[in-house]
Amino acid sequence: MVNPVLLIVVPLGLAFALPLFGLISKKIIKFIPVVAFIFNLVISSLLIPRVLNHPIVISIGGFPPPFCINLVAGPVGILFSTLIALAGLLVSIYALSYIKEGPEEKYHILYLLLLTGATGVVLTGDIFNLFVFFEIVCISSYSLVAYMGDKAGTESAVKYLIQGSVGSSFLLIGIGLLYGLFGTLNMADIAQNITSISPLSIFVPLMLIITGLGVEAAIFPLNSWLPDAHSSAPSSISAVLSGIAIEVGLYAVIRVIFTIFGGSSNIFMFLLFLGILTLLIGEMSAFSQKNVKRMLAYSSIGQIGLIMFAFSIATPNGVAGGLFQLVSHTLSKALLFLAVGYMIRRTGSMDISTFEGMGKKMPFTSLAFTIGAFSIAGLPPFIGFSSKFLIIKSALEKQDVLFTVLVGLVLLGTVIEGAYFFRVVQVLYFKGENVNLERKEAPVTALIPIFILVALIIGIGVYPRLITNILKSGASELLNKVEYIRSVIG
Amino acid sequence: MRSIVSIILIAIIALGITLALIVIPFGEPKTEVGKYYIDKGIEDTGAVNIVTSVVLNYRGFDTLGEVTILFIAAIGIGAVLATQKKRKVEKKVTPASLILYTGCRFLFPLILLFGIYIFIHGHLSPGGGFQGGAIIASAFVLIYMSCQGRRLPVTLTKAIESLGGLVFVIVGLIGLGLGGYFLLNFLPEGVPNTLFSAGIIPIIYIAIGFKVGLELTGIIDNLIEKS
Amino acid sequence: MDLLSNSNVANFLSNYIYYIGAFGLVSIGLCIILIKRNLIKVIIGLSILDTGVNLFLISVGYISKGTAPIFSKPGLDSARMVDPVPQALVLTAIVIGVAVLALALSLAIRLYHHYGTLNLRKIKEQRW
Repeated sequence: MVNPVLLIVVPLGLAFALPLFGLISKKIIKFIPVVAFIFNLVISSLLIPRVLNHPIVISIGGFPPPFCINLVAGPVGILFSTLIALAGLLVSIYALSYIKEGPEEKYHILYLLLLTGATGVVLTGDIFNLFVFFEIVCISSYSLVAYMGDKAGTESAVKYLIQGSVGSSFLLIGIGLLYGLFGTLNMADIAQNITSISPLSIFVPLMLIITGLGVEAAIFPLNSWLPDAHSSAPSSISAVLSGIAIEVGLYAVIRVIFTIFGGSSNIFMFLLFLGILTLLIGEMSAFSQKNVKRMLAYSSIGQIGLIMFAFSIATPNGVAGGLFQLVSHTLSKALLFLAVGYMIRRTGSMDISTFEGMGKKMPFTSLAFTIGAFSIAGLPPFIGFSSKFLIIKSALEKQDVLFTVLVGLVLLGTVIEGAYFFRVVQVLYFKGENVNLERKEAPVTALIPIFILVALIIGIGVYPRLITNILKSGASELLNKVEYIRSVIG
Repeated sequence: MRSIVSIILIAIIALGITLALIVIPFGEPKTEVGKYYIDKGIEDTGAVNIVTSVVLNYRGFDTLGEVTILFIAAIGIGAVLATQKKRKVEKKVTPASLILYTGCRFLFPLILLFGIYIFIHGHLSPGGGFQGGAIIASAFVLIYMSCQGRRLPVTLTKAIESLGGLVFVIVGLIGLGLGGYFLLNFLPEGVPNTLFSAGIIPIIYIAIGFKVGLELTGIIDNLIEKS
Repeated sequence: MDLLSNSNVANFLSNYIYYIGAFGLVSIGLCIILIKRNLIKVIIGLSILDTGVNLFLISVGYISKGTAPIFSKPGLDSARMVDPVPQALVLTAIVIGVAVLALALSLAIRLYHHYGTLNLRKIKEQRW
């Protein structure tokens, strides 16, 4: 049996060794993240069949669980780490020729460490360890947003840094309060003792932790950094930030709410309210954008709102739908950003009106963009349709008037999404022609990941049974707190 | 307007936190986890400084994350300031006075020695890798202040930083290979309260100490040169 | 009014002075970040916020009249030793705070190079 610690430790070791490789030869630096993520992908896929029923619990240092840090590689954790490894691999292949200027060695180290931190967040079972790995994700993303060194990038990075650091401080206060109340930092241990303290005292640490994690997860009032940061980062980084970093933040919020604080109906109402608010504000703001990357960033905010709505349904189908939507968002949003990256490089500007006639100049890339757009809007043969359908079906199954009304709002959000994506597709294919460009496709290293993402989107969309097993196990792990506690502490 | 909103917000937060703190009395008896660490600390790890055994043995993964964060900060600063032009050499800088110049050169090896003492004795007295590393960095900053223009060679610092991190990861992996747990304490524990005790803890602290010292020096170097 | 007599107030203060101090620092830091316009002052506010949080974390683990958890002589009384876990947490938190501070300062250098000013009201290139 392979030890899940290797998923975190091997990329970390490679990242530390990367400057040494750089001293030997500059050409092999770009390939080391590719190697690291191939390794991660292989190990995660090997672990999937083993964790479907029972999570693997590893203790670091050999001591029994509440007295040491432990990793809990359950179905949700391994699903996420496979997704992170897959997305990381594809974007690092894309970056082989996309990143040409600037200090490349530092880009690859920061990129590798961002994804290692993300893998650490999803696999850990200890709340202070969650904070440390979460900080790894945040600090690498601050540096990567400012990587290009231009005006927009630096300004967005400063805003992101200040908001992110205040959020982290709140998270740390919340963790300190939890330690003072319960005397332990292990998630399963806190979950076991959560009912022994009155709900009023629990309320404040819960709010502080959700606020702290919510800055990175882009929940409604805390996401003003997101449009700036995601639009001024280089496109490969935008793909990883939108596809992985905010989802890992949302995973942390979900893990804290479902596993540590139990899930009372009050919390779910609060999550539902925030989710719908985030969804509507994200979609409506995206509708009025003229800059294509800002539009995609606001669309990410909308999708996070939808995922929060799905999780607040709190039935097995609803939680499975939320996990499915997370997978579909990563794949589709990464595809969109990767396709847009080269289009922007060809026209030199991010304004949608300059993409007129791209359908003929870069046919494969535009087709990929269209497929990604249709998938996020939720059209039939793609993965976005299957995930949205599952969410709406589970909301209607609840037989509650409130949920039916909110399903109406979700559908309204979907219509707005469709509208602004169709507008871009129309400009790509049906508007005039930009005569200054000749017909030249993106390089091969960019087309390989785009092709693989398109294949996955269509494949899983047509045949969702490929991943429903692991989604259902994940849903039952999140909803069934007692099982989790028993498998860690015994 | 903005000030009023901020003050109201902060008042709400303070009120909330006070509500939560009423349940946590100050100076109460220890938690179960704390008591376990103090009672069993020496048997399990051999280090008499219980905080060190918590930092490196029981919660060693957090320390690995922390070392990574400092590494990311150093690399990130290098990346952000990479396109900034270096400070021109002809800029008028007043050279340091004779007292500063002589004093710093005299104190440099002593401070360096003190820093190394602190992290080598991390398991015996208060101290450890990060503290010792900060002291080493302050020694180098004294040299930057007094002898303008002398810098550490870049390749050497990069190599030692990477090696420091790699040593930590490799020690953990050896523990994984030998005992089945990452960061298992596989070296003999020795007699408590002597220098050669506590298994892998002194080795890791030496690696961390040099790494942190050179990293902090590199950060200050970058900030001075490129501003 | 026995409640407000000097010794009661002094008792209360000596018990909770660390918490009050820590949250005072946190509030001051938050005020600075929300109100001030100069980027360097905001960064200093961030640092004060971090200090406040670290002080709060350490004071959670205190035992009245406790000593440091180091067995410098064999057979020291272990019942009066302070909790070692918050100290380990604060070690990590201080290093994280330093890392973020250094990164923020380098971004401030870069921002000054681009805009020529550090006034946050004027650095608003990104429109809605």
